[in-house]
Amino acid sequence: MAEQNSAVLPRGAVREEFNNAIEKFRALLGGENVLVNADQLAPYNKVMMSVENAAHAASAALTATTVEQVQGVVRICNEHKIPIWTISTGRNFGYGSAAPIQRGQVILDLKKMNKIIKIDAEMCYALVEPGVTYGQLYDHITENKLPLMLSFSAPSAIAGPLGNTMDRGVGYTPYGEHFMMQCGMEVVLASGDIYRTGMGGVKGSNTWQIFKWGYGPTLDGMFTQANYGITTKMGFWLMPKPPVFKPFEVIFDNEEDIVEIVEILRPLRISGTIPNSVVIANVLWEAGSAHLRRSQYITEPGHTPDPILKKMQHDTGMGAWNLYAALYGTQEQVDADWKIVVDAFNKLGKGRIVTQKEAGDTQPFKYRAELMSGVPNLQEFGLYNWRGGGGSMWFAPVSEARGSECEKQARLAKRILHKYGLDYVAEFIVGPRDMHHVIDVLFDRTDAEETKRADACFNELLDEFEKEGYAVYRVNTRFQQRVAQSYGSVKRDVEHAIKRALDPNNILAPGRSGIDLDTYKKA
Amino acid sequence: MSVNRRFVLKGAAVSSLGLTVDGFIPALAANSEGSIGDEATEPTMLALVNEGEAESVFLYGAMAAGKAPLRVQKVGRDLGFMLDFERRLRHGLPMRVIGLLDDASATLIVDMARSGGARVQWLGQHTAEDGFTRHHVLSTDMSEGCSQQLSRELHDCGAGFKLIEERQNGPMAPHQLTGSSRGTNQSAQWASSIGYLLASIGARTTLAAPLAPAANTPITGSFVSFSIVA
Repeated sequence: MAEQNSAVLPRGAVREEFNNAIEKFRALLGGENVLVNADQLAPYNKVMMSVENAAHAASAALTATTVEQVQGVVRICNEHKIPIWTISTGRNFGYGSAAPIQRGQVILDLKKMNKIIKIDAEMCYALVEPGVTYGQLYDHITENKLPLMLSFSAPSAIAGPLGNTMDRGVGYTPYGEHFMMQCGMEVVLASGDIYRTGMGGVKGSNTWQIFKWGYGPTLDGMFTQANYGITTKMGFWLMPKPPVFKPFEVIFDNEEDIVEIVEILRPLRISGTIPNSVVIANVLWEAGSAHLRRSQYITEPGHTPDPILKKMQHDTGMGAWNLYAALYGTQEQVDADWKIVVDAFNKLGKGRIVTQKEAGDTQPFKYRAELMSGVPNLQEFGLYNWRGGGGSMWFAPVSEARGSECEKQARLAKRILHKYGLDYVAEFIVGPRDMHHVIDVLFDRTDAEETKRADACFNELLDEFEKEGYAVYRVNTRFQQRVAQSYGSVKRDVEHAIKRALDPNNILAPGRSGIDLDTYKKA
Repeated sequence: MSVNRRFVLKGAAVSSLGLTVDGFIPALAANSEGSIGDEATEPTMLALVNEGEAESVFLYGAMAAGKAPLRVQKVGRDLGFMLDFERRLRHGLPMRVIGLLDDASATLIVDMARSGGARVQWLGQHTAEDGFTRHHVLSTDMSEGCSQQLSRELHDCGAGFKLIEERQNGPMAPHQLTGSSRGTNQSAQWASSIGYLLASIGARTTLAAPLAPAANTPITGSFVSFSIVA
């Protein structure tokens, strides 16, 4: 087999050592599962961040099909000090996609480990491998007429539950806080040992996907957004499909309305009257999702001015804020809850309520209703066409579900984005007490100046939000080190102490969430 | 004369044409992998496009290459199409796919190529506005020379442009090519040239990229080009 002569090597690796490792990977996995050629690696390198692709170029990509192969990969990586970056479906668009956090890391792609190991329709759970997509699960549930419903993020069918949950992603149903619905993981540790969380360590247990906590310390969360192991199986709970599903939208005309929207919504969420992860999308998110393009309204550079936003609202009927929620249950339950919801918004005296019957097949209502009922679609990819240019980075600070806080964050984000000539394209995803304030920082990667501006903008967003006591819950791979600093030095010390104990050779995704034994200096 | 040989010869004259070249012009080695240029086994080429003038001009260029039967498929963001496309790639039958799409569709197509186990020879991000175009290209051994040829053709027709090329498996630093506009009405030439060049990857051809037909209105917007091999 020819030696590799790529200019891309893992950090600190020498060519000969790397080539020796590649030969061992080939012996373990077969040559067809060890990708080193440029045209094999290019599809792993379509990043959307404010940095050159080269900064996130892999030196190789491996595909494994069994847990034993994953253990073998880990063994070889330890022998040769090769860092690996594991992906499941790799559809973490806007958070780094499939590319590694550091140039030269070897991608371990688990897309071929795609077995739905079990779906229990009575106990309402699934156990899956990393490569299983929501689309596979949807097909399985539909074909077998199982009375179950999925919860997924907007890339839906093409993404997968394991990757999304491990990055603590969210969906739009009552089961939308995905990590909360996770139950039982199998993790290959850097030592090669296989660790099962919760009840999974008990021989013969049939409660691995039933009871989360097991005995003693519960470590599941430690493996999310982390680099302490490679998750090869994950269980999660599925929602029973309700007999009645009633999606609705409430349209608000003014940006300032966000205060009252949140205040009216919070008690409805905390009481469970509205059970799902509600979305409050601003006009630009709506526009992108409806496949409008900025160029239809304005061709001047810079942010889209408020008068244009008002014109868009006028032309399309979209609100400054657009709330999407749904009710689930029997007809009696839904009728009772619907009355509570309608009364609440009527009492507010603002907001136009739109039902499914009134909306028909119009977008974005249709795709929102589908997401809230576990039906996959790709509608939201339209956001990438709003400005165009291939740049997209999610800025996702957490907020209290308090109107004044949401307004404060919205104003702050909009001011900073506009300062850099970029648009405030945002939605709030409403938990009972928290808000995921998700902002798509869209920019043109063909324009070096705009890319630099987007990078500076993202840094300023992080800095200014931090001054106010806010931090993001998740971030793309370019900014993970920076965000780790927001959470304090003690947390980082603990994380690195765990890393030293579990992965002393620093082979598993060094840099993930700022955890990297090679670069970390204790404060 | 092969297209690669022609690139080498024309490359020697770049500086005298007033074209700004940052970085290096790599030697244009003959393609050695994949046998895509073997006409006896030439697979059908599939062109994926959206509706639009740039896409039409792209096809105009691709058809001028004329080395393989070209099948054209209009693409949206239909989930069924994307999943079917991935299945076809996964199936492993020889297939060449080139395209010029909007950002949303291309994001999906390229990611389907990854999960479908296909190879991506070229990935280009393009913006056209005010008679000027910007291009950010991720190239590979198989598409070596295409960026240089694109820049030459844009320069020859007087179109203003800036092109940044990153080389997969290459060094960190990208190289840049720029050309200033000479006021000609050639806002669409980039699309024709890219169509031609992508359709020509790996093929031995003496054809030149055709001059783009004059557009009724200047082509503007954001586009993604790609060449995928299953």
